[in-house]
Amino acid sequence: MFSLIYRRVSVLRLALFIAGYVWMLVIPSSQLNRGVYFDENALQPGQVNTYWNWKEVRDADVFLEQLERLRDSNATSEQRSQFLMNEFLKIGLSASTQSYEFTGIHKVINGTNAYAILSSPRVSGAEATVISASWLSRTNEGDGTLNLRGVATVLALSKFVKGYSLWARDIIFVISDGYMEGMQAWLSAYHGAPQSNLYAQSLELTSGVIWTAINIDYPGHSLSHLGIFHEGLNGRLPNQDLLNSFQYISRRTGVPVVIYDHKEEDSQLNWLPSSMQNHHEIKTYAAQARNLWRHVGFQASGRGSGVHGLFHQYRIDAFTMFALPASGPHGFHSLGRIIESTMRTTNNLLERLHASFFFYVLTNSDRFVKIGNFLPSAILISVAMMFGGLHVWVDAAWVWTNVTKGEMKEDEKKSVENKRLEPQPTATPHTAMVWVRRKRSVLDVLFIMIGTHIFGASTFFVLSSRWYNTVSFGPVVLFAVAYALPLVLRQLISQPQDHLAVSSLAPAHLVLKAFNLCLSSTVISIITVLNFSLAACLAVALGIPLSTSSPSSHKVVSLVKYSAYIVLGFGWILLGETTKRVIWNWDILGVWLLPFLCIVYFPLMLQAALVCII
Amino acid sequence: MLKTSLVIFLLLFNSVFCIKQAAEEFEENLSLKSLRDGRVTSSFSFKTLLRDAAPRDPRTLALDNDDSQHYTLFPLTLGQILRQYAITELHLTLNAGKWNYESWGYPDESGVGVGAELWAWMADGSPSSIDERWQGLRNALAGLFCASLGSLDEQRTTSPRQSFPPQGDLPDWGLPHELRHASHASEHVCTENLTPFLKLLPCKSLSGLATLLNPHRIFDADWHGIGLHVLWLPEGVEVRLNVQLVSDPLRISSTNKQDWSFHSLFDRKVDQACPIAKTSRVAVELPSSGFYRVHPEPLEIKDGQAYYNLKIANEAWNIGTMWPTDFEYPLSKPNQALVPFSVQRSLRGSTQDRGELSIVVTNHQQNTLQLRYLETMPWIIQFYLHTIRVHSDGVLKNDLISNISYVLPVAHSRPATFESILTLPGGSNLTFTMNVAKAFLRYTEHPPDAQRGWDLPPAVFTPLLQSRDDSIGRIYTPSLLVDLATPDFSMPYNVIMFTCSVVAFIFGSVFNVLTRKFVVVRLEPTEIQDN
Repeated sequence: MFSLIYRRVSVLRLALFIAGYVWMLVIPSSQLNRGVYFDENALQPGQVNTYWNWKEVRDADVFLEQLERLRDSNATSEQRSQFLMNEFLKIGLSASTQSYEFTGIHKVINGTNAYAILSSPRVSGAEATVISASWLSRTNEGDGTLNLRGVATVLALSKFVKGYSLWARDIIFVISDGYMEGMQAWLSAYHGAPQSNLYAQSLELTSGVIWTAINIDYPGHSLSHLGIFHEGLNGRLPNQDLLNSFQYISRRTGVPVVIYDHKEEDSQLNWLPSSMQNHHEIKTYAAQARNLWRHVGFQASGRGSGVHGLFHQYRIDAFTMFALPASGPHGFHSLGRIIESTMRTTNNLLERLHASFFFYVLTNSDRFVKIGNFLPSAILISVAMMFGGLHVWVDAAWVWTNVTKGEMKEDEKKSVENKRLEPQPTATPHTAMVWVRRKRSVLDVLFIMIGTHIFGASTFFVLSSRWYNTVSFGPVVLFAVAYALPLVLRQLISQPQDHLAVSSLAPAHLVLKAFNLCLSSTVISIITVLNFSLAACLAVALGIPLSTSSPSSHKVVSLVKYSAYIVLGFGWILLGETTKRVIWNWDILGVWLLPFLCIVYFPLMLQAALVCII
Repeated sequence: MLKTSLVIFLLLFNSVFCIKQAAEEFEENLSLKSLRDGRVTSSFSFKTLLRDAAPRDPRTLALDNDDSQHYTLFPLTLGQILRQYAITELHLTLNAGKWNYESWGYPDESGVGVGAELWAWMADGSPSSIDERWQGLRNALAGLFCASLGSLDEQRTTSPRQSFPPQGDLPDWGLPHELRHASHASEHVCTENLTPFLKLLPCKSLSGLATLLNPHRIFDADWHGIGLHVLWLPEGVEVRLNVQLVSDPLRISSTNKQDWSFHSLFDRKVDQACPIAKTSRVAVELPSSGFYRVHPEPLEIKDGQAYYNLKIANEAWNIGTMWPTDFEYPLSKPNQALVPFSVQRSLRGSTQDRGELSIVVTNHQQNTLQLRYLETMPWIIQFYLHTIRVHSDGVLKNDLISNISYVLPVAHSRPATFESILTLPGGSNLTFTMNVAKAFLRYTEHPPDAQRGWDLPPAVFTPLLQSRDDSIGRIYTPSLLVDLATPDFSMPYNVIMFTCSVVAFIFGSVFNVLTRKFVVVRLEPTEIQDN
């Protein structure tokens, strides 16, 4: 059985690779996904008569007018938060402000949040729901578009909910300053999780444990669709029941729901022949592939798709309702009804949302892929890599060599006898082609691997240091160092190859490759359950390249290969703005992508690069 | 022996005699007050006094012939419970909502902790132990009030004597008196508790102030609570039943005014006073400023209070206050705080095994304040006392906490009791932090709604009076909710766990069978003898 697998392992690996990559490509097809459903029976979405009406719309309009005046007068964030706090106080809520300052490695960011707490009648205040809006909209990830209508909706909503006694938990209204940073400061003060580069004023008012949060983003004049943004920091996802309830309610209210800001109309299939453009299956695939691509972008980078993503780190289920800017037909009236109904659905919860509804890939607002239908794709590739690694490991132990019979030592004879294949008698009677066992230097290779990870860690410390981010030529210099240092070390350490020892000692590059493949495979398998998109990206980035690394007899070819691996592994630091964003995300929001790239991904690539030149 | 039984007999005879002779009195009071934030607090109090009666001596419990209970006004069902378990003093409150001390001031009845709270003073010396009588008491009261008081078991029972001193007198029997206290934050008060409560009143809800106790309105109020207090005073045994509520006229009415009347608050009017009540009085606290009108014209105005006597015949009382202008919420804090200090308590940290209990106390006065701080914590939260840090206005000052007494929790059975005294310099802000560990429960110990978390009882702060005429007693913080490490009890995880266990079991057995070699080992008889 094992020998069968061993002999066919190359075919098996190829089959696994192909199966894995094809599976990844098939995930967006409608064959693998299914319609959404509700797992938590307590939710009962859309079962209530909503009370939000034109009076509340008028309130929202009035608030909007005041906010526009505030915008036109170029009010500082201090003045804005003071205004918002006063409005909350006039409504009769307890309200306060919170100022914060991030002394990050880029530049100092400061601002002031305003928040209010409705101590709901009759409840103990041990649980809470958050309704939030950030001052900047998420349009182009906080490019400066104001979320005035979102803020006006929150203000009108706070006035509205005050009039009812049906709330089962406290409701906290937060208007966070900036795009992401305001909410990060507010949440870290609320949960008492200090951050070394953040000064956040402690909160004057607190409530209980926050279970759910809804973030409202309404940058346009009116809205045509409502979009769901749900990815959190470091690839966390909210409980799917929350998203399902929202999309069900929204549809029932008459507002179409899309995922992200992807309207179905904008088709990108113009390059296909027209007969195929209109094919239902192809259209669905194209639309879902687009959604999935966006999802992978948000989840793999770990940056989250909006302000809601910050809540997930404190085990709060949250998402952003994004009102797609349009000239109609919906506005405050529909939005208010949908939010009210969604709030009342979450109000029905007696427990936190649980029921293991956290592993999913939304391919459309009402379709999702279950864990069993997407997870195996990355796992198959990881298995292929593991087989590859083990194969190389076994290969490293044996050499098919030409040995003169008289030269064969006793122990070698023994090992020849123990080997799997019989020595093949060859033409010359004095020599024989035999499988000879050789030693594999594990410790040396382990030191090399640990060395690469330490090297990766040191690049991480350089990248996240203040002075690196002040010099403009930093990336080029760091890349040059990362490129040259292993080469220099290689030259310094390399000993003249003892050709006589070749047959008794396995070449280091084989052992290194074996370990490298096994480690990468393990990393990918572990990450699949934590952050599937990242695991899939790793499977693509590492799968084939790491499996094909090998030294070349030609020095120049080796060097070209080495350079290619280094560019793959560390080239991202030359990307300018993108890299800056990654560093900012780590520094301010604590997104793990930067340390992951430096400490895990780059060293794995570096090991493959070393395989080529050792 | 003969002597003691004679004493007991005399005592018994005496008490029987007393009760037979006792005059029973009933009085009902209602006080109403408009609050700063537009809400109205109403506090009903129904007092029955059993003149010259005394609590039962626990030593007479052995005799079991306590058949002297003939009452006219005093609630019999309650009297039976009190005598059966020889309770000297008893306080039971069932509340819903979070009392907002900052904007509502100090309540008329101090027991405003959320959920159910029961405490009783009992003398020792009976054949059954105090804990047995405590258990019997809470089960009897659970039956009487249709509330889950049975869950106030030994996992929630503590004896913090300092924070809950007796409010009446304790009889001088030469026996030690013990306190038992328990609270249950997630117990909800509702109609099924109010109905038996009304049955204890002599006029039920047919006449008198109890007419106003309309469940639809009481349980819609922002804060509501019912309470039962039994104490021994020099005059006799007093039973006080009270209902407190904080209603929001601005929410109920469609206008923007804070006007209220009996009709708007309770949807009822009082047709007549309870005929057997000695007094039946309504007191309305007059607003300190602004234009307003109190209707009907009060009988008497004294110390900023308008008094009405409902015993005077009238055409259905509908007392209320009206304002000419719309209500506006105050935009700033009051110049003079309504309570001398305010407390904020939170359990921080987002992990499921560690956390930090944080208390922020603000002294609104200029003089130093000393507070007794009590935590009665279920064993699922374990304190690390060595991590206590006290900061005053941001400066570490550990000497501001003193007199720490701590009763260790016992896992799965006894809660912790932590008592200490905090000293707050005038106008200062004191922060108390302590690290806590969250327990890992056995899976059978999780409640059916496991993912909700566990409610922790409120902490209690009592100011140590320093020759001030304050009537401030205990101040309760809101309750907390703590998330413990909880297995996912939902179906998919059960399936995964079950399948994995089966696979592991089968794999283990098969692996064993395949890899082990079973041989018969023959032992030499001599070896057996040696052994």
